[in-house]
Amino acid sequence: MMLSELEAKELLAGYGIPVNEGRAACSAIEASEAARHIGFPAVVKVLSEKIVHKSDLGLVALNLCNPSDVGRNAERILAKAHTIDPDAKVVVESMAPQGTEVIVGARRDPQFGPTILFGLGGIFVEVFKDVSIRVAPVDRAMAMDMIDDVKGYAILKGARGKKGVDIEALADIIVNTSKLMMEQDRVMELDMNPVMAYENGAMAVDARALVRD
Amino acid sequence: MTDSSLNPMLRPRSIAVIGVSREPSKWGYKVFHNIVSNAYKGKAYPVNPSTPDIDGIKCYARVGDILGEVDLAIIIVPASAALQVVDECGAKKVKALCVITAGFSEVGPDGAVLEEKLKQKAASYGMRMLGPNTMGFVNNSISLNASIVPRMPPKGEISFITQSGALGLSLVDWAIGSNLGMNCVVSTGNKADVSEADLLEFFEQDKGTWTIAMYIEGLKDGRKFMEAARKVKKAKLAIKAGVSQAGARAAASHTGSLAGSDAVYDAAFRQCGVVRVEGVEEMFDAAMALSTQPKANGNRVAILSNGGGAAIMASDACERRGMKVPELTRHTKAGIARLLPAFASVKNPIDTVAKSDYDIYREALKMLIDDKDIDCVMVIYAHAGFTSAAEPARAVIDALKEKYPKPVVACWMGGREVNAVAGMFRRNRVPFYPAPERAAEALSALIRYNGFLKEAGK
Repeated sequence: MMLSELEAKELLAGYGIPVNEGRAACSAIEASEAARHIGFPAVVKVLSEKIVHKSDLGLVALNLCNPSDVGRNAERILAKAHTIDPDAKVVVESMAPQGTEVIVGARRDPQFGPTILFGLGGIFVEVFKDVSIRVAPVDRAMAMDMIDDVKGYAILKGARGKKGVDIEALADIIVNTSKLMMEQDRVMELDMNPVMAYENGAMAVDARALVRD
Repeated sequence: MTDSSLNPMLRPRSIAVIGVSREPSKWGYKVFHNIVSNAYKGKAYPVNPSTPDIDGIKCYARVGDILGEVDLAIIIVPASAALQVVDECGAKKVKALCVITAGFSEVGPDGAVLEEKLKQKAASYGMRMLGPNTMGFVNNSISLNASIVPRMPPKGEISFITQSGALGLSLVDWAIGSNLGMNCVVSTGNKADVSEADLLEFFEQDKGTWTIAMYIEGLKDGRKFMEAARKVKKAKLAIKAGVSQAGARAAASHTGSLAGSDAVYDAAFRQCGVVRVEGVEEMFDAAMALSTQPKANGNRVAILSNGGGAAIMASDACERRGMKVPELTRHTKAGIARLLPAFASVKNPIDTVAKSDYDIYREALKMLIDDKDIDCVMVIYAHAGFTSAAEPARAVIDALKEKYPKPVVACWMGGREVNAVAGMFRRNRVPFYPAPERAAEALSALIRYNGFLKEAGK
């Protein structure tokens, strides 16, 4: 079964992986209430096991600056999502600042057991499939190697006057993901896509986990 | 000698072949014949209740009738009779089994059930088992051909573990044809008990094995394989066949689709120091370099050639594979320039401009080996017809007898005369290739392997 974004993030947070704060809401009022609590700017996304491609379906609203914007967008998203999944809710999150998008994932391979994947997000992973993979457990040195291995490493290090990202923070996420996979037998697949990498720190902005029933 | 639990299997002192036949076309004949017709020093007993003798050797009706001890029983009876034969072997206190009989998990669910019974029975008697559905094995260090391989490969340091019997057979034939030395060839068959991991442990301790080559379709237990491979200090090469996307198709997530089984094999091999090669030719080319050459400290290659074209192709081939072909030190350049006509190029690659005299090749190679900014050397000779292919080959062999701290590979391009030189190179443990790309690929595997060693801090 697929864990919801909130459940997946709770699992990650338990292993020291930074995630942005989020709350589930079933209505526009609940959503704006949640946003008031979390702070602005906020994000509203659909929360449903059945809906995978959230942005493609227009079920994500970014950079909402006041409660009424949050309420309006929550209402729109809920209405649209209910045509696909009547149980769909929304999640209200603090808007993570733009950073360099990377992906960290894990999968339980039938022959080798837990494997960890790292790559640059966006077109790097979609088009170029520029990822590096290791069989867990992955220690710190191996995590640094994994990051170094992707062809887009230059972008992470900082190129053409752009500052680099916090590679140590990414290595921490990789090591903690490895730890999670080694300890949580029921997790079959895990996706953190994207993880926002900043000059200081990194954070999983979206997450999905497939767990054994 | 090793102290592995596989000793009674792969280094047996006595063998019973159960299910022998007098019919030369049958495997029951071939296997027994292969054991006794080579120089195997141990005892071999044929077993078959309905055959009085084979090749003039008296047959035993049952394994229990044999008076002496039996280390290894090779089983070639029909699948339906296999379980009973294993019981008889257990009663006789046979130490190990090699089950050539087919008709187990490879034929479907019923066969799988039978295989599981076979496996449990062997285990209950404490016998290790190779197969079922194996073509057997060859161990050159004790002159034992316990297989259906028609001829023994030349003796050498490469041991080969193969999941495909037919591929094993053809590779032995290929090794004979190309004079490639092999120590052991083991066909794993269905791997009900003995797997690649067990064999890696055996070969790690086996003095006759320097390099381990593997043909793998699928591993039953990837982690066990990695654990065993990590402990092996010898060079390991593998072909992983069946680049399957099936796993990726079934994946529910992004990670799942990107981390298909092939990508995971790549990662796993890398993590446990197995050099993955694409095909058979590449594997044996690399094995030849790995089993004869010292470690490379880096990826800087010097190229010495009697022709510009071959030298340029070699440089391209090296650089395409991530190696560097750097400038030589001033000292080396000056030393080599003294040997050559004024118009020759002493840049790297070095073009002697058709000169392939013994002294030039020998002195130049020695200087390249001495150059501290060079990690390995490729020596090329392009046969022109009016020169001798043997003369520069002798120079390489002699230079290496004096100096051998860096890997050197030879690329001799040409036809009949070059073939005559091949044997000379092989006898003197100089890896030899017919084209620059193959020499470059072998060097690249050698350097990749040394990269693992460095990573592992060995």
